[in-house]
Amino acid sequence: MGIMKKKINEFPTPYTCRNAISKGGMETKLSMVLMGVGNIVHGQIVKGLIFLAAEVAYIAFMIAAGVSCIAMLPSLGSVEQEEVWNEALQIYEYTKGDQSILILLYGIASLLITFLMACTWVCSLRSAYKAECLAKEGRHVNSFVEDLKTLLHENLQRLLMTPPMIFIVAFTILPLIFMICMAFTNYSKIDSHLVLFDWVGLENFKTLFDSSSILGSTFWSVLGWTLVWAFFATFSNYIFGMIISLMINRKETRAKGFWRFCFVLSCAVPMFVSLLIMRTMLQPEGAINVLLRNLGLIASDASLPFFTDPTWARVTVIMINIWVGVPYTLLQLTGVLQNIPAELYEAAKVDGANAVQIFFKITLPYMLYVTTPYLISTFTGNVNNFNVIYLLSGGDPVTDMGATAGKTDLLVTWLYKLTVDKQYYNIGAVIGILTFIILAIGALFTYRRSKSYKEEGGF
Amino acid sequence: MMRKRAVSLLLAGVMTLGLAAGGLTGCGSSGNDGAEKVRLMVWSPSEDQSKDSGEWLQTCCEAFADAHPEWDITFVYGVMDEASAGEQVAQDPDASADVFMYANNSLEPMRNADALVRFGGKYRKQIEATNSQDVLDTLIMDDNLYGIPFTTNLWYMYYDKSVFSEKDIKNLDTMLEKGVVSFPFVNSWYLPAFYIGNGCTLFGEDGKDEAAGVDFGGENAVEVTNYLIDLAQNPNFKIDDLGSGIAGFRDGSINAMFSGSWDSNAVKEALGDNMGVAALPTYTLNGEEKQMYAYAGTKAIGVNTHSDYMVQAIELAIWLGNAESQRLHYELRQVVPCNTELLQEEDIQKDELVMAQNTTFSDTSIIQPLVNQMNNCWTPVENMGKGIRNGSVTHENAQEQTEQMNEAMNSDGIS
Amino acid sequence: MTGKKIHSAKKRRFINNTIVHTVLAVLAVIWVFPIVWVILTSFRAEKGSYVSTFLPQSYTLDNYIRLFTDTSILNFPQMFMNTLFIAICSCILSTFYVLAASYCLSRLRFKLRKPYMNMAMILGLFPGFMSMIAVYFILKAIGLTEGNLIKLALIMVYSGGAALGFQIAKGFFDTIPLAVDEAALIDGCTRWQIFTKITLPLSKPIVVYTVLTSFMGPWLDFIFAKVICRANSDQYTIAIGLWRMLEKEYIDSWYTCFAAGAVLISIPIAALFLYMQRYYVDGLSGAVKG
Repeated sequence: MGIMKKKINEFPTPYTCRNAISKGGMETKLSMVLMGVGNIVHGQIVKGLIFLAAEVAYIAFMIAAGVSCIAMLPSLGSVEQEEVWNEALQIYEYTKGDQSILILLYGIASLLITFLMACTWVCSLRSAYKAECLAKEGRHVNSFVEDLKTLLHENLQRLLMTPPMIFIVAFTILPLIFMICMAFTNYSKIDSHLVLFDWVGLENFKTLFDSSSILGSTFWSVLGWTLVWAFFATFSNYIFGMIISLMINRKETRAKGFWRFCFVLSCAVPMFVSLLIMRTMLQPEGAINVLLRNLGLIASDASLPFFTDPTWARVTVIMINIWVGVPYTLLQLTGVLQNIPAELYEAAKVDGANAVQIFFKITLPYMLYVTTPYLISTFTGNVNNFNVIYLLSGGDPVTDMGATAGKTDLLVTWLYKLTVDKQYYNIGAVIGILTFIILAIGALFTYRRSKSYKEEGGF
Repeated sequence: MMRKRAVSLLLAGVMTLGLAAGGLTGCGSSGNDGAEKVRLMVWSPSEDQSKDSGEWLQTCCEAFADAHPEWDITFVYGVMDEASAGEQVAQDPDASADVFMYANNSLEPMRNADALVRFGGKYRKQIEATNSQDVLDTLIMDDNLYGIPFTTNLWYMYYDKSVFSEKDIKNLDTMLEKGVVSFPFVNSWYLPAFYIGNGCTLFGEDGKDEAAGVDFGGENAVEVTNYLIDLAQNPNFKIDDLGSGIAGFRDGSINAMFSGSWDSNAVKEALGDNMGVAALPTYTLNGEEKQMYAYAGTKAIGVNTHSDYMVQAIELAIWLGNAESQRLHYELRQVVPCNTELLQEEDIQKDELVMAQNTTFSDTSIIQPLVNQMNNCWTPVENMGKGIRNGSVTHENAQEQTEQMNEAMNSDGIS
Repeated sequence: MTGKKIHSAKKRRFINNTIVHTVLAVLAVIWVFPIVWVILTSFRAEKGSYVSTFLPQSYTLDNYIRLFTDTSILNFPQMFMNTLFIAICSCILSTFYVLAASYCLSRLRFKLRKPYMNMAMILGLFPGFMSMIAVYFILKAIGLTEGNLIKLALIMVYSGGAALGFQIAKGFFDTIPLAVDEAALIDGCTRWQIFTKITLPLSKPIVVYTVLTSFMGPWLDFIFAKVICRANSDQYTIAIGLWRMLEKEYIDSWYTCFAAGAVLISIPIAALFLYMQRYYVDGLSGAVKG
């Protein structure tokens, strides 16, 4: 507990970078230029060589590619492809032009590598200083093998976290920075800036916040529906899943496994298959309408407007989302429900509470307490719930001819339409960023206030 | 960072090994000495490469290699249908095929990506000699020719001969009195046919004048909207969506539908000898007969500007689009040819499908505009179709909604 | 008096039970119904994507047979093997990542712990497919977009972000009493040994859960696979294949095969679920029993 209360620095160490620079000896100071020298001097030869090799590799990379990549970043390339007529061969020949998208990506990657190199530099300096201090104090300086052994024990996190981190940096963080950068360019089909594009600053944000533009007005209405959708989709699933879970887990319910299996079965069918089939079934001439007509529930030429009336469509997608989501909720909640302390129920029963009261007074508060993080992640998951909307309604119906988004379009499906169908990459990125900001503020705020966060990690 | 480098080094190592292995096997197959080594990547739909439908692509490529002993060609085949080729080539021309087949509506995206080779000199003359100007126009932008057409790509009418006579099929409204007609009402590739029939235009007369904009507004467009509202309510009119048209052919509930060559086998199966194919009918608007006009396009063979073997790639493209290749394509996969010499041949003249497709192309279609702004024209028309189906577009607001559609078609949806 | 009370309580309980079971039965029907429809469609003899009758008119096995014999256009068996290979590899990798990250975050205290957890939360808020193009070009830059290396690329993409989804596993590890670790430390075990020899064997449910969820990913993704495979049809995964069956040219003749394919890939997943249901539930409850 003691460690956790010190908020300022949980892991104090004398071997900081600043100390290394101010108090370090000659060999440590030399390490600032020639990484690893300090380690080599103090006997950590392999470690020192690795640092040195990293530096050499970095410099080689920068000379070979990095510097030019970064230098191209401000202009994003300007050389156009050229066409030359070859009279002898009767063909046009083409020179290679710049491709802004690659320049942007490689530039960012080079910057990222530079940043990682800076981290390595700090590490090497610290390590050199540490080796120097230990040597001065006459304490044991770890050999390389001993260093490797610490990876299995006190530095286990380095061993276990590094491989996943590499992948996260390469496949999540790098693309993300790339996407954020696109929002500040004119990378879009408009005026054909698909090969060569430039930085335009906050131009795209301005358009979006200009409520007189088509884009601006669409944005707010889509955002509104996205939040409504996320709220209903999350809580309808949650409550419905909990009720079903309670019904199955009642002491007197028979064949628990069978019921559970019935619900869970729908997880086994790939989501895009079941959603596409639902979509077909719910069309004006689809199976459901045909069935209702045959049963005489609706007139023989009528059909229920599942995806053709705005309100119907919105309710339909929420209902179908229940079908899709409840099995997962069921699985997640069953365990938690079983963990509710039995004494709570006993006490309530003694007080003469009925089933409904017990649910609202005990089950629900307990569940909310335990599952807040889960709820938040479901909520954000629903804001970005691409599959259900895209495969089910495709954003339909559209009531405003000019709008690029329909009545059930979420920000994320609208973003998809704008980027993939219309190729307005910059606008898509802007929407992605705004969605993120809204979500991040909400989620971090709620999450930090939740009890499960505050109590987390206290030993 | 080091680890990352190590990973990429390792990967590079793996790659080199793989390439070396590939190179070795490649060497084994090469026969004649002194010939220039050429590696050509070719993309086509999977049917062109499958054994069941006769390996059209392989046959043609091998014939090409035999005809050019001066080159030692290694072919690399990739599967890419014409509809997606444009998108994929435009996304990363550098890693795309040297020679590929594409639907001409993706011409502009690929041109924007600097990916399409333009044909000039003797090659252009060769292409022009065997194709009609209408067909060539679908591949010409700013007077530059960007592909070798091998088939037309458009929709026309399938009908049940036992329900409609040759005379009936001239007019849609006559047909609706005699049988059930299904039309892809909510698909914006089809719906404009009615508007264009009543004088609406896209990007000027030839569809290439971006500044002229779209004219889908005004009195004539509103008339069409009103006609369409009535049409959607006609009990004999069914909206074809998600395959309901072809299903209706099977169970006999639908007697005519609008589609293209991709459905011909299914229709043949459903209707047998009663299958009829025809160009688009007219429709009766306020007592006057108006012709429906389909968007017409072509499928063509294109060459990548990033190709390392430009001459060979162009020669191969010309080869794949010549009369023999088109004939083989027709025989193996019933791909309707567009080579003018081939179309004169007797057996092809007799084919109803070929004739319907080509009559539609020459008489009842307009060239689908290729300009960039065409990108803005799909969603609004689709919204109009859906609006009419859903009942949100009515006679009362037809005027206003049509104007809105027109405005949207002329806007990029941003400002 | 008391006898009557007991009797009425019994009666009420009976009524309650009946109601609950009926409601469950109705709901179960609703949930199972679309799946039954898929299964029926996969046996349907009439072609086409659209039918006007609710139930098929006649049944056949041809759809399944065609899936495995008609390989010239869509090579289903090959796609199946590709997906299986990718799923197994990425499943091993991501299970390791998830468990390793969760264990570190749950048991070890280090400087980047909190920043990492906040970062994971933030990264989860971005829509994933926006990064699609960038991921493609990154993979191309390291030379993984041609030939068999595409499989490696897909494995990396599917397992790459796995360590960001540590919450559930971490929650589970949190519930394992610390005393167990401390005792082992006193006995001279290293942290690594504690992780592999003590924590993991105690965490069978969560291991199974992680394996299961990461195994399913490659079967379902149709967006990334398409962008990365491009024209390399021999590298296609099941999801691309199924998706292609719905294209304009294929949908009419392949729709029933599409249903058959969906059923086929559902069977292993459903079987796994059935077998591992107990673990799954326990895994999420975060309780160590016994």
